[in-house]
Amino acid sequence: MVATKPYRFFPHEFPFKFESCLIKNRKGQLKIQQMIFMIIAVLLLFIMVGLFFLSISLNKMQKEATSLAEKNSMLLVAKLANSPEFSCENAFGSNKPNCIDFDKVIALKRNIAKYSDFWGVAKIEIRKVYPNEGNISCTDKNYPDCGDLKILDKNVEILSYASTFVTLCRKEFSETGPYNKCELARLLISSQDKT
Amino acid sequence: MGKHLLQLVHKKNRKGALEISFGWLFAIIAGIAIIFAAIYISSKLIGSSQETISAETGKEISILLNPLETSFESAQTTSITIPTETRINNICDDFGAFGRQGIRLDQKSFGKWVNTNTMVYINNKYLFSESMIEGKKFYLFSKPFNFPFKIADLIYMTSSTKKYCFVDAPYEVINDISNLNQSNILFENCSDKTVNICFNQAGCAINVNLDSKTVKKNKTTVYFSGMNEDNYALMYAAIFSDKENYECQVTRLLLRLKEVSNLYKEKIISLQGIGCTDTLSASLDNLESFIGNSTTSKDLDEIAVKAAEVEEINNAGVCLVW
Repeated sequence: MVATKPYRFFPHEFPFKFESCLIKNRKGQLKIQQMIFMIIAVLLLFIMVGLFFLSISLNKMQKEATSLAEKNSMLLVAKLANSPEFSCENAFGSNKPNCIDFDKVIALKRNIAKYSDFWGVAKIEIRKVYPNEGNISCTDKNYPDCGDLKILDKNVEILSYASTFVTLCRKEFSETGPYNKCELARLLISSQDKT
Repeated sequence: MGKHLLQLVHKKNRKGALEISFGWLFAIIAGIAIIFAAIYISSKLIGSSQETISAETGKEISILLNPLETSFESAQTTSITIPTETRINNICDDFGAFGRQGIRLDQKSFGKWVNTNTMVYINNKYLFSESMIEGKKFYLFSKPFNFPFKIADLIYMTSSTKKYCFVDAPYEVINDISNLNQSNILFENCSDKTVNICFNQAGCAINVNLDSKTVKKNKTTVYFSGMNEDNYALMYAAIFSDKENYECQVTRLLLRLKEVSNLYKEKIISLQGIGCTDTLSASLDNLESFIGNSTTSKDLDEIAVKAAEVEEINNAGVCLVW
């Protein structure tokens, strides 16, 4: 039989060991806190850099969209007068390029709801240049004695106008019978500003 | 002695074990999470930038279609070159007052096709091509479509990689097409590698019968018709597009015919005010009701007969409406 040695408790040792353990834990906690702060800082940095690049690319995209919309207006205005809803065809004698049938576009204005998204632009306007009849807006009542026909007029922010000169023709009454009357006008188009 | 040895071995084992502090473990896990998040975000960014490029290119193409509007020319031609290999998906939708034309682009990135979901819609264009064409260079030409008045310009798009060969084509067709100077359309030296188009004879990939006004292709038949010098506008459309696209675009053209016809009817009312007599409204109504809800190219020839009658009445009048 082996006799066990009774354990001797030295009270002066205990506080010292406990304190060193506490200091070690505190150091460990501090390191973890440092690590967490570091990770949060790195994440924030990433997020900020990401947001910076996102805003740059969004800005670039908006500029690109604006430039494409302007380009669309510019190319469309050159050819719109030849589209079926505008063109004179042979109604006023020989083939007339860039000729707009005034009688037809006033009918188009009345039916514009159907055409609101047809050309992908926000405004289509025809302004008489010669003879100048001022800014009198064309309606069914004052037609054809007016100077400005707003065919499509969406209530939105718009980009700058693209325009081209056109011949604006209509049939007029005379004692000898109907005759063709053609005037000089400007066709203006503007796209919506989506920025 | 034995107990001492056991303690020593235990101590040695502890030294041999990989001692990783909690700090390191935390850093490794957080690092891995950050790396995965970065990879995920960058892959998403690449995907969205591909979508953006595709949408931008699609929009550019739709804008470049504007100059193809004809005035009194019999045709207009142009070509589009895209720096990367591109698939242009032609989508036609005949819903609504005019229907709409859609374009979706897929481009090659690092040797693989990247499918995108961004569609660019154009309401005032009629693009005839196969549902998907592939290449870097694309040829386009347009012809006006009068039925009896101008309804639209039909735009035909082909890839430079696909060569078409017209066998025994009528003089008018040769004259029309050769003036376009499109290198992918041939009239001689047809081979197995070219898509051959026969006129009034069978045995080609595409067989055109000018008498029955039909185009047979991939075991499907579509019908075309026309008036005056633009007799072949719809024939080219049938040749260069597939049945689904062709039938949808024909429906869209008939929808526009109805709307333009309504504008002419309103014009006639205003012309009556200055002493012009109305001889056209009834026949325009007749034409519109004849078109009705027609959605197939099979009815085109009968509609053309009615349209010819309307044109005759217009030309005979004192006040020409168009």
